[in-house]
Amino acid sequence: MAEHDITLTVNGNEQELTVESRTLLVHALRDELGYTGPNVGCESSMCGACTVHVDGKAVKSCTMLAVQADGTDVTTVEGLDQDGEFHPIQEAFQEEHGLQCGYCTPGMMMTAVDFLDDHDDPGREEIREALEGNLCRCTGYQNIVNAVETASNKMGGSGAAAGGDD
Amino acid sequence: MSIETEDPSEIDPAEILGSAIERREDPALITGDAEYTDDIQIPRMTHMAVKRSQHAHARIEDVDTSEAEAMDGVVDVFTAEDIDVPGSLPVGWLLETLEQVDHPILAGEKVRYQGDGVAIVVAEDRYTAQDALDAIDVEYERLDAVTDPSDALNGGPEIHDDAADNVAFEWEIGNADETEEAFEEAAHTVDLEVENQLLIPNAMEPRAAVADYNPSDNQIDLAMTTQNPHVHRLLMAGVIDHPENKLSIRAPDVGGGFGSKIHHYADEALTAWAAKQVERPVKWVATRSETYQTDALGRGHETHGQVAMDEDGNITGLKVDTKANLGAYLSTFAPSIPTYLYGTLLSGQYEIPAIHCEVTGAFTNVPPVDAYRGAGRPEASYIVERLVKHAAEHMDMDPAEFRRQNFVPGDAFPYETPVAMVYDSGDYEKTLDRALEMLDYEEFRERQEAAREEGRYLGVGFSAYIEACGIAPSELVGQLGAQAGLWESSLVRFQPSGTVTAYLGTSGHGQGHDTTYSQILASELGLDIEDIDIVEGDTDEIPQGMGTYGSRSAAVGGSALVQSARKVVEKAKKIAAHQLEASEDDIEFEDGEFRVAGAPDRSMHIQDVAGAAYLAHDMPDDVEPGLEASSFYDPENFVFPFGMHAAIVEVDPDTGEIDFETYVAVDDVGNQINPKIVEGQIHGGVAQGVGQALYEGAEYDENGQLLTGSMQDYTVPKAMHVPEMETDSTVTESPHNPLGVKGVGEAGTIAAPQAIVNAVVDALEPFGVENIEMPLKEERVWRAIHENGGDA
Amino acid sequence: MEFEGTFTIEEVSPEEVWLSLSDPYMIKQSLPGCQFLTEVEDPDDVDFEELREAEPDEDPPLLPEADPDEVAARGFDEGSHYAALLELKVGAVKPSFRTVVTIDEWDHPVGSASGEGDASGSSFEMDSGMELSETDEGVAIAWHAEADVFGRIAQMGQRVINPVADRVVSRFFSNIEDQLTEVAEEDESSGLRDRIKGMF
Ligand code: FES
Ligand code: FES
Repeated sequence: MAEHDITLTVNGNEQELTVESRTLLVHALRDELGYTGPNVGCESSMCGACTVHVDGKAVKSCTMLAVQADGTDVTTVEGLDQDGEFHPIQEAFQEEHGLQCGYCTPGMMMTAVDFLDDHDDPGREEIREALEGNLCRCTGYQNIVNAVETASNKMGGSGAAAGGDD
Repeated sequence: MSIETEDPSEIDPAEILGSAIERREDPALITGDAEYTDDIQIPRMTHMAVKRSQHAHARIEDVDTSEAEAMDGVVDVFTAEDIDVPGSLPVGWLLETLEQVDHPILAGEKVRYQGDGVAIVVAEDRYTAQDALDAIDVEYERLDAVTDPSDALNGGPEIHDDAADNVAFEWEIGNADETEEAFEEAAHTVDLEVENQLLIPNAMEPRAAVADYNPSDNQIDLAMTTQNPHVHRLLMAGVIDHPENKLSIRAPDVGGGFGSKIHHYADEALTAWAAKQVERPVKWVATRSETYQTDALGRGHETHGQVAMDEDGNITGLKVDTKANLGAYLSTFAPSIPTYLYGTLLSGQYEIPAIHCEVTGAFTNVPPVDAYRGAGRPEASYIVERLVKHAAEHMDMDPAEFRRQNFVPGDAFPYETPVAMVYDSGDYEKTLDRALEMLDYEEFRERQEAAREEGRYLGVGFSAYIEACGIAPSELVGQLGAQAGLWESSLVRFQPSGTVTAYLGTSGHGQGHDTTYSQILASELGLDIEDIDIVEGDTDEIPQGMGTYGSRSAAVGGSALVQSARKVVEKAKKIAAHQLEASEDDIEFEDGEFRVAGAPDRSMHIQDVAGAAYLAHDMPDDVEPGLEASSFYDPENFVFPFGMHAAIVEVDPDTGEIDFETYVAVDDVGNQINPKIVEGQIHGGVAQGVGQALYEGAEYDENGQLLTGSMQDYTVPKAMHVPEMETDSTVTESPHNPLGVKGVGEAGTIAAPQAIVNAVVDALEPFGVENIEMPLKEERVWRAIHENGGDA
Repeated sequence: MEFEGTFTIEEVSPEEVWLSLSDPYMIKQSLPGCQFLTEVEDPDDVDFEELREAEPDEDPPLLPEADPDEVAARGFDEGSHYAALLELKVGAVKPSFRTVVTIDEWDHPVGSASGEGDASGSSFEMDSGMELSETDEGVAIAWHAEADVFGRIAQMGQRVINPVADRVVSRFFSNIEDQLTEVAEEDESSGLRDRIKGMF
């Protein structure tokens, strides 16, 4: 199996690593670099637990090969808080009990942050649709939708996130 | 109507029990700091993968592993022949007529479901392990398969030599003669055939295990996705023939279970066994398709139910006949689910003088079937509530009033049912009334009428559910066949500086136990929550435990915690009395402070008492140094949460599409330790119930091949599939435990399906539709409408 | 799973079609993913590696170049067994099926065959048949197949399998059609046609 040397900037840190052609980005992040925040729920782009940001956009990291991500900026859930301060989405998930087992949560929050970047003050239906690619088996989604609404308010509905991604 | 949370640091210990505080476990879970099993890396770690049968039923003629063994990066390959330990998975619940069949951890002669393990590969990395599976050559002689319980029982291919006609057991409860009599004398009878389809649990975290073996002291450390580490340790010690005290099992963060991580599967035992063989750490993580093929399924009933009534619509008898699908082998607690957790709940919320239920358990060629959120109780509630809806319609009575008329009256508790349960407490009219109010019921019936005239079909469905949880009094379950006691244990330990650690034998996996247990302990000891640490899920740290399932953690684990806390206070009181030079009888304990009655300035805080207890320079006679206590709490009885869920839907007769207008849930789970956590449990439970009602179902072809083997083919509800829920609660304390709690983990899943199906049937009443089988996919609904000509 | 269909080839005679469909080399060349198709004595004892290695680099000519008598001589016989290696792409996987086929019936215009194929983690069992009939346009081949699939492929469900089956069948017949149409375009095609007809 051919091997490749690639560079990823993860949460602001430039990292060099060697991966096989078939190595998925999620496995490179988790197994090679130790960013175990993104979780693997299906390996088939159905559950969204592995969602990270690649160059600022939410991507399911099981659908991308590590070599395809060469040279990109990757943000994982580990990169959401800044200087010990939670990102508004993290605060909101905690306040609203937007999680139970937490397995879907990193992906859920990364999708939500990307969504809130482009949507001021979204409605509940809109939020539900935005989360279409992220499955949660625990919460029944209601408190997740509440959390995204709350985060949107915290972010002032202007998309200006306090810290976090980018 | 969502409950607002509070910051725990701003709450006084006296108020903390019952407040909706933020969860203590969340900071780790929202930052990526959490550690799930697959996050664990150990130097020299290898990866295991399991070669699984592609056939649902076949004889194994030959397994050729030579090519796989020769591959670069493959450490070892094992088949059934290599298993040098008992290697047969045990059954933890026996019934008198139960046929116990061998359940090997690797199949050697025969495979009995698609996914049955045939060989394992241990390799340097996970990709190589998967590649090596493809290089293993298995020759099969395929046999006919059967997936449906009635087909299996009626001349299906024989799955086990020892189980004639694929009968696993025959079981009954209630009084057949009295029930027969009730039907003979009945003024009205109705009946229904319903199916409660097989479900795949779909915890978001797939099952996984990491084993590390140290040969010099024969110690196995196993981290795994488990809801009950001590139970797994006990069972696995036998399966792999390893001393129980040299096998440590730890549950790291666990990403949901819903029952699927209670059972003892082959894979986790193989991981531990393989680590011992290769003398290197071994990790196994199920792929999603493996979880679809191997996680124990839930439900799987075919049921015929009949109701007898007098001329006024009072229920006088209930007869239930169920064929339960048990799958290819008996999973850990499988025999108890369609029997004692099912038949005993058939009285529902109703006063029914005579009940009789017969259940036949059938072996089939699907994965083993066991507990899935609700476990037996959703099946019971489903048939009862579907029958009640049907009966009310037959009597031309309002379904809400029909229920009210038949409820066990509020003054009849404790109430003994004809199916061996004694309900602790209840007030069923209260939850019904509250639900009717939230629905604006009378107004709805008018709207429904008006809409029908416009050709729009609205319907309302009720589900008056009851569940038995807080599993359970050990002596009772022992009599019923459990091979374990179902007490819970706890240890509360003060450190000398005044902080506290509590160890519990339950094992949370998303329920927020750190938070609720801290609330209980803060309230009992009068401490700030910051001074409390909760430890669960580790056989090395926690003396003993039975785990988390059956909505038992608050009722049984919480009670064990209270018991230990009270023992600690009792001891601390002796020490405080001594230190304060007062008689023990004169000491009062409040908000963490021991005070001398009548002399309020003579006091000592329990944290200072802890310091004194470890210093031990000045102790009363007969009191040992240190401040800790442990207990085993054995519940007196089950607890019986109840409630009323109701849905209003609109059905489009042209497409069969179902739209929710309202979903209301009024639950009575006794006292609530943290109402926000209770609300979350209801939400999540309802979503799974919505899944069963509308979307989910494991389907197999006639050869036992799984047709819904991925998240693309098996619909786990997405955000827009789940309705907005309006929740409320009433509180009827359970008299059976010190907290007055009942349990909430399964309520939503038990309650929701029949509320939705009843609503759809109600909407389609003008079309003469009396029953539709779940899941109510659009096409099925459309067919039901058009079967009767499609005219309203 | 059941599949069926009718494929019509214009301006050919039933005998030509029959002879072509009886020719193992024609089948091998027309069936997508077929690496070899070799007659075997004992269907329970086939060494696919050996067969693959024994496979000649070049096949003998097919109709129209081939001598029809030779083609007839190598054609299917009732009760004979064939081993084939089929490489199919199904979704994300590309299993190689070691397949053994038995010719159950082969009597112009009706033929049927059954077989089993095994790949790592997947397998199938199949019964199939066809019947030729002459129509105004040419020859109609009514075919049907009943297949059971197992393992990884079965798990992908009909959503994935049906299009694959459709693709294989339609490529197969259109390859045959292309080949036979060449026959029709040959200068001496009518002479050849008569010769073939005379053989029946
Ligand atoms: S693991 Fe990537 S979408 Fe499920
Ligand atoms: S919180 Fe458990 S899957 Fe979402």
